[in-house]
Amino acid sequence: MRAAFILRTVWQHARTHRREVAFAGLAFCLLAVVVGVAWLGTRTVGRWGSFVGQNVHVIAYLTEDADPDVVQGLTDLLRRIPTVVAAKTVEPALALERLRAVSASLGNDPKSLDGLEAGYFPWSIEVNLAPASDLSERALDLARRLRGVPGVDQVDAMTTGLARLAGWVKLGRRLGLALLVACALLSLSILAVVFMRSRNASQARAKVLLQLGETNRGVRLPTSLWMAGTALLGGATGAGILAVGWRPLLARLERSLGIMAPVPLPSLSGFEILGGLAVVLLLGLGLGYFATPLSKVGEHA
Amino acid sequence: MIWLEGVGCERDGQVVLDTVTMGVARSELIVVEGAVASGKSTLLEIAAVRRLPDRGTLWFAGRNVLTLQQASLPFVRRNIGYSAPDSLLLVEDTGLANVALALAVRGESASVAETAAREALTLLGAEELAARKVGHMSSGQKRLVSLARAIAGPPPLVIVDEPTALADDETRQKIVSALARVRDSGSAVLCGTAEASLAQQMVDTGGRKINLADGRIVGASAVELVPAFTPGPMENQGGRIISLEVDDGDEAMTPASRGPA
Repeated sequence: MRAAFILRTVWQHARTHRREVAFAGLAFCLLAVVVGVAWLGTRTVGRWGSFVGQNVHVIAYLTEDADPDVVQGLTDLLRRIPTVVAAKTVEPALALERLRAVSASLGNDPKSLDGLEAGYFPWSIEVNLAPASDLSERALDLARRLRGVPGVDQVDAMTTGLARLAGWVKLGRRLGLALLVACALLSLSILAVVFMRSRNASQARAKVLLQLGETNRGVRLPTSLWMAGTALLGGATGAGILAVGWRPLLARLERSLGIMAPVPLPSLSGFEILGGLAVVLLLGLGLGYFATPLSKVGEHA
Repeated sequence: MIWLEGVGCERDGQVVLDTVTMGVARSELIVVEGAVASGKSTLLEIAAVRRLPDRGTLWFAGRNVLTLQQASLPFVRRNIGYSAPDSLLLVEDTGLANVALALAVRGESASVAETAAREALTLLGAEELAARKVGHMSSGQKRLVSLARAIAGPPPLVIVDEPTALADDETRQKIVSALARVRDSGSAVLCGTAEASLAQQMVDTGGRKINLADGRIVGASAVELVPAFTPGPMENQGGRIISLEVDDGDEAMTPASRGPA
C-alpha cells in the first residue's frame, strides 16, 4: 500500500508539475551534453596532440637504390646530432600501413588503397628535433645539409605547418580548460535552479504530508524518485545526442582542418555512458532528497 | 484515547496554558468552549501532537507521547484527524484527492481512501467539492474539505478547531451531525469553539463541554472530565489504532504507571 501510495504521489507530482519536471529533464539533458562534450573534447585535444607528436620535423626520402647499410649508417649519424631527439628509419611497408590506418580513421573505404604495393613508398628517415624557438631555422639547416648526402632523394622540412598546428593544439588545450571551468559553473547554476524550483514545487505537499503524519522519509521519497527518474531520462537523452552526433561532427571538423590522426575518433563507451547515468541518477536522488523542505511539526513554535 | 495531565505552555513569555488536565475517551465528544486567546487552539494543537507542551504529560493510545522519539511522532499524528482554520490543503489537487491523502498516509489503498473520502464529503454535504480543485474554492469550501479530511476514515481521534467559523446555519448543522456521527462510530472527538451556541449544539447531541479561560479549565475536575478514560494499551479498550510503530525514548514510562486511577 505504501509503495503504491508513493508511486502514485510521484505520478501525481509529475502530472501536476509538468513544467518543473520538463525543466528538470531539460537541465539534466543539457548537463549530460555539456559534461560529455567537455569529456570528449579533452580526449579530442589529446588525439590532436598525438597527431602533432607522431609527426616529424624533417623527412629525408631516399633513392630507390639506397643501400640498407647506408640508410642505417645515416640514421645513426643523425641520432648523434645534439639537437636531434629521434631519427627513425621507415620501411616502405610501414609507410603504406600508416597511410591505410589514417585512411580508415577518416572512414574511407580500405579497398581504395588495395592497388598500392609495398614498394610504392621509398625508404625514408624521420627526424624529430628538440623543441626550441629557432626550430624552423634548425630544421631548414638540417634539410639543406641532408640534400647533399649521397642516397638522399628529397628532403621535407615541415616546421612551419607543424609549429602552427602545435600552437593550435596548445590553444585548444587552454580553451578546453576554460570550457571545462565554464561547464562546471553552468552545471552548478543549472542544478541550483533545478533545486530551487523543485523545492518550491514540493514545499506545499511536504507541509501537508507532515501534518497528516507522514514520516520525513515518506515525504522526501516521492520527490527523490521523480527527480531521479527525470535525471535518468534527461541524462539518457543527452548521452544519446552525443552518441549519435559527436563523431560525425568531429570527423567533419577534422576534415576541414586537415587533421589525420592515427587513432580512432573518440566516442563514449558503453561503460562511460552507464557510469554517467549512474552519477546522474544519484545526483537526481540527492537533489530530490534535499530539495524537500521539512517543517518542524510537533516542536515548539 | 488521549489524556493530558498538567499540561502547560508558554509563548513569548506569556502563559497560554496553565496546568490543564483533561482527556477524551473513545466514543466521546468533548467541546472546549472559550473566548478568543483563552488557549483553546494551543490545547487542541497539543492534543493533536502538532505542538509539544512545555510542561505536563500527553498520553495517546496508552503511550506517553513526550517520551517518544521525534521520528515516531508521525505514527501518532496519522491516527489523529485534525482540522484548524489554518490547516493547509493542496490547491492544485481536487477536494477528493485532498481528503483521500490523509487515508493514503495511513496506508489505505487508493480505492478505500477514495470511498472514505467521498463518504466524509457527503457527510458534510460537500460532495460537489469532490471534483473541484481546491484552488478554485471559497474559504468556506476549503474549510469543509479540511474538516472532511479530519473525519475521513474516521481516525481514532478527531480534533477540530472552530469547525463552523465560515459556515451558514445549514452547513453548521451538518458539521455538528457529522461530528456526532463520527463519535457514534467509536472515535473520540475533541472540538474547540468560541461560539456558545455551537457548544450548546454539541452538548445537545450528547457531547460534554469544558470551559477554558486564561489557559485554565474552569468549573470541572479532572476526574469529572474523563470518566471513561483508563490508561493502557488501546487493544485492551477495543480501540481502532491504525498503526503506532513508535520508538520509545530512553525515559519511556509504563502506561499503567501514570494516569488517573
